[in-house]
Amino acid sequence: MYKILFFLFLVFMHLQSNAESLKLRSPLSDTVKLREVMVVSNIPLDDKDILNFYRTNQFSTLDNINARLGGLSLIKRGAYALEPQMNGFSGGQLNVTIDGMKMFGACTDKMDPVTSYIEPTNLKMIKLKSGTNGSENGCNIGGSMDMTLQEPTLNTKQSNFASIAFGYESVSQSRNILFSTGLGNKKWAWMADGVYRKTENYRAGNEQIIPFTQFEKTNVHSALKFSPDKINSFKADILYDMANNVGYPALPMDVSLAKASLFALEFQRKAKIQLKAKLYFNQIIHVMDDSKRDSLYLLKVKPVGKSDSVYMRMDMPGKSSTLGAYFQMRIPWNENNHLTIKVDNYSNYSIAEMTMHMRYAGFAPEPPMYMQTWPAMLRNVAGIYVENSTYLSPKLVLTANARMDYNVDNLQSEYGQQQFSIFNYTLEKVQGKLIKSINFVAQYDFTNDLTLTTTLGHSERMPTIGERLGFYLFNAYDGYDYIGNPYMKTEKSNFVKMDFQFTNPVIKINISPSISFLNDYIMGITDFNIQAMNFYANGIRVYTNVPSAKLFSTDLQLLYTPVQNISAFWLSKFTYGEINHTEVMPLIPPLKNIIAIQYQKDELQVQAECETALAQNRINSNYGESKTPAFTVFNIKGAYGFTLSKVSMNFSAGITNLFNKAYYEHLDWGRIYRPGRSLELYLKMSY
Amino acid sequence: MKTNILNITIALLISVMFFSCKDDVETTKVNSLEGLIKLEEGYAIGAAAKVEVWGKKNFFMGYNNLTVVLLDSINPTDTLKDAHIYFQPLMTMPQTTGMPMKHACPVENPNEMAMNGVFPGAVAFVMPSMGGAWNLGIYVHNHKNDKSATVNFEVTVDNPPTTVMSVFTSQSPDSAKLVLSLLQPQAPKVGMNDIEFTIHRKASMMEWPADSTYTIEITPEMPSMGHGSPNNVNPVHVGNGHYKGKVNFTMTGEWKINVAVKKDGTTVSKNVYFNITF
Repeated sequence: MYKILFFLFLVFMHLQSNAESLKLRSPLSDTVKLREVMVVSNIPLDDKDILNFYRTNQFSTLDNINARLGGLSLIKRGAYALEPQMNGFSGGQLNVTIDGMKMFGACTDKMDPVTSYIEPTNLKMIKLKSGTNGSENGCNIGGSMDMTLQEPTLNTKQSNFASIAFGYESVSQSRNILFSTGLGNKKWAWMADGVYRKTENYRAGNEQIIPFTQFEKTNVHSALKFSPDKINSFKADILYDMANNVGYPALPMDVSLAKASLFALEFQRKAKIQLKAKLYFNQIIHVMDDSKRDSLYLLKVKPVGKSDSVYMRMDMPGKSSTLGAYFQMRIPWNENNHLTIKVDNYSNYSIAEMTMHMRYAGFAPEPPMYMQTWPAMLRNVAGIYVENSTYLSPKLVLTANARMDYNVDNLQSEYGQQQFSIFNYTLEKVQGKLIKSINFVAQYDFTNDLTLTTTLGHSERMPTIGERLGFYLFNAYDGYDYIGNPYMKTEKSNFVKMDFQFTNPVIKINISPSISFLNDYIMGITDFNIQAMNFYANGIRVYTNVPSAKLFSTDLQLLYTPVQNISAFWLSKFTYGEINHTEVMPLIPPLKNIIAIQYQKDELQVQAECETALAQNRINSNYGESKTPAFTVFNIKGAYGFTLSKVSMNFSAGITNLFNKAYYEHLDWGRIYRPGRSLELYLKMSY
Repeated sequence: MKTNILNITIALLISVMFFSCKDDVETTKVNSLEGLIKLEEGYAIGAAAKVEVWGKKNFFMGYNNLTVVLLDSINPTDTLKDAHIYFQPLMTMPQTTGMPMKHACPVENPNEMAMNGVFPGAVAFVMPSMGGAWNLGIYVHNHKNDKSATVNFEVTVDNPPTTVMSVFTSQSPDSAKLVLSLLQPQAPKVGMNDIEFTIHRKASMMEWPADSTYTIEITPEMPSMGHGSPNNVNPVHVGNGHYKGKVNFTMTGEWKINVAVKKDGTTVSKNVYFNITF
């Protein structure tokens, strides 16, 4: 009986994450050395191998890691805070959560995706689910990315540890310090980790220094766990992340402060019926800053009637706070069925303001110009998620899941109401909406080696606050001011995904094509009747529900281990998008490949990596796109570990962009060259 | 059913409260004068009336909402509620040679029945006191005793820091002299605002009637940023020379409202605008 249950549990876990399933089945997983509390090493296995490459450098940012995950691409506005895009979906189309906890960036211009407040060292695992099936933590259409925070371990050899590491990157004179420490006994365990990074402007492959690519950040995470017995445990997490002086070369302004704090309390019961309850609060404060920019403009307007230099400053602070809780139960209700029920609720309060200060040479300053780019809004979402896995035969597992969210938007600001009267809207203060998601997953094992998983799903998502109530949000990519639509409909998706998996000790292959048929796709449509607010804007775009859109995406992941010490990894991602059957969907990356070869013997590890992308010629110039040439970049790294009187040392060195290629990727805003050749040095000491 | 009864009871209670208050409302003049200051007071002796003139602030060049309060001069606690009141503003401008020039300005005389115990009306002073002396005559015909008299106030008309009136000569064959006053918005806010103008025409030195034969087009702009605002509604004539429309402000700051006054489709104004800063 228990064996069956255990097996069921395995099957269930399998469905939870294909990646995890690989871990369970793969004979290779045994060879993975998880001696240390390591970030990347805990990332799901199918992505893990490529990430191993980055294990040699613990200072990889989360962005660096995300770039190597299947299906993920990054929208780049600077050297910091890259925005994840999954199979062509981004922003409000993705569910980015931290251990199931909701968190929302406070920047109207998407300069602070949630991932920018988390460091790899904070993380134990990243779970990705694509398409509508990523709705465990909220109805969504594009997929989910759930980051599990590192946690202290009770009463094991790994309970007591301390490590400190130093890293340096020559291209940006990046200096990094990382620490990680933990203590534990039978009932109590504590840990803390953190990073400090300081980076100057980097040098691109053409030897040009790219201005406004600097940043400085501090991140600390600490967790305390108490376990009165083997079944129950309590955990408290605190995370604090602060970035200062962050440059955004592709945007007209930088960020002086991006600050996040997160508090969480958790209860877990690991009995036959598993329980998990969480209560959390997080807050983000985001302050944009244009004081370092040349804010002089030549304008032919008031007060002299001819072109004159104008001095302009914009204060743009934003704030986002989220309070939430969830309760989750996993019930193996009979031998063939396994049920998960999750109920959750969160409230997010967001506001963003803009005050413009102008001064014409030789004149008194103009009166300040104020507007609420995100009028204060409180969004409350209450949801229920149910998932059941049925084990039909040793070869076939069926899973069905469904979610319902009741979303209530409560406009807090009368100012926001007044603002929208300009567009002839009478705004209701409170707007409620029920949104739904349903998915079916079938997994069939043809042989021990070959598995096919099919996902069918339908889901919708709420428009974001910017899409509903955004007020003259300047988009530096297409150069338009964006305005929200208060009565925007939900965006809907019908989703199909096939997952072919072939696994044996020598080779593992995973091919996962998926297609999303989207209705009421949300995008900005030019409105010629409204004049742009920014004098450098091309015009106005109003967020609109476009009748239909399509996104096709496929990933190939291949791990080949011909002999024991050598393994090769190939990751290939491709996405294709269109709007209304005719128009090219903007911001879709071209085919990208990452190939890595690794040699490992004892404590020595050497890796070489090649990143290539084809040219992207399928573009939509109406949305600011231009063609992007193909590129190939090589990286090499080596690591060596040794022990020096109880202290284990890990030294690594590497060169990224070996041939100093001047290149940019298609999703890089402003076509700004990426870093050139860089020497990376890293030393970790752990006890 | 139960809720119905409850609703009816509440409705009754409210109506009782409403009726019981009504008398107070009618007898109190305080409400009608809230936010106003007393600008002038004097006696229209022949009409046995004490005349008080109330306004938001001192007289200024532009459309002045003036509230007249009439009291029985014998029994000052008694408010007069039935009277004819005529505003008779007169500007006397001394000339270097010859007779001083005299002219009036547009007025809107109060209704003969008081509203909430007071007589609201308006005077649109077409110039500040700097060029001469304004005299505001108020003619009162007291219907209580059927007697009439005029009280005269020597008033100072300020030049407001922000212009709210444009007096110009029409660019049309009749070369009419027009007075365009901006009445609203008085408390501008971000979003949609009511905008209201009056147009008066100078028929003679003493006659400045309201004119409904023009059309008005507004184009708001933020001069420092070089942008305007969408979905403005051009004012249309609503009676008595008043034109009402909507103006939209997308943000705080200094706005300029360009106004084109048109007659039969042809613009007759030239470079008329009002600044609104908030």
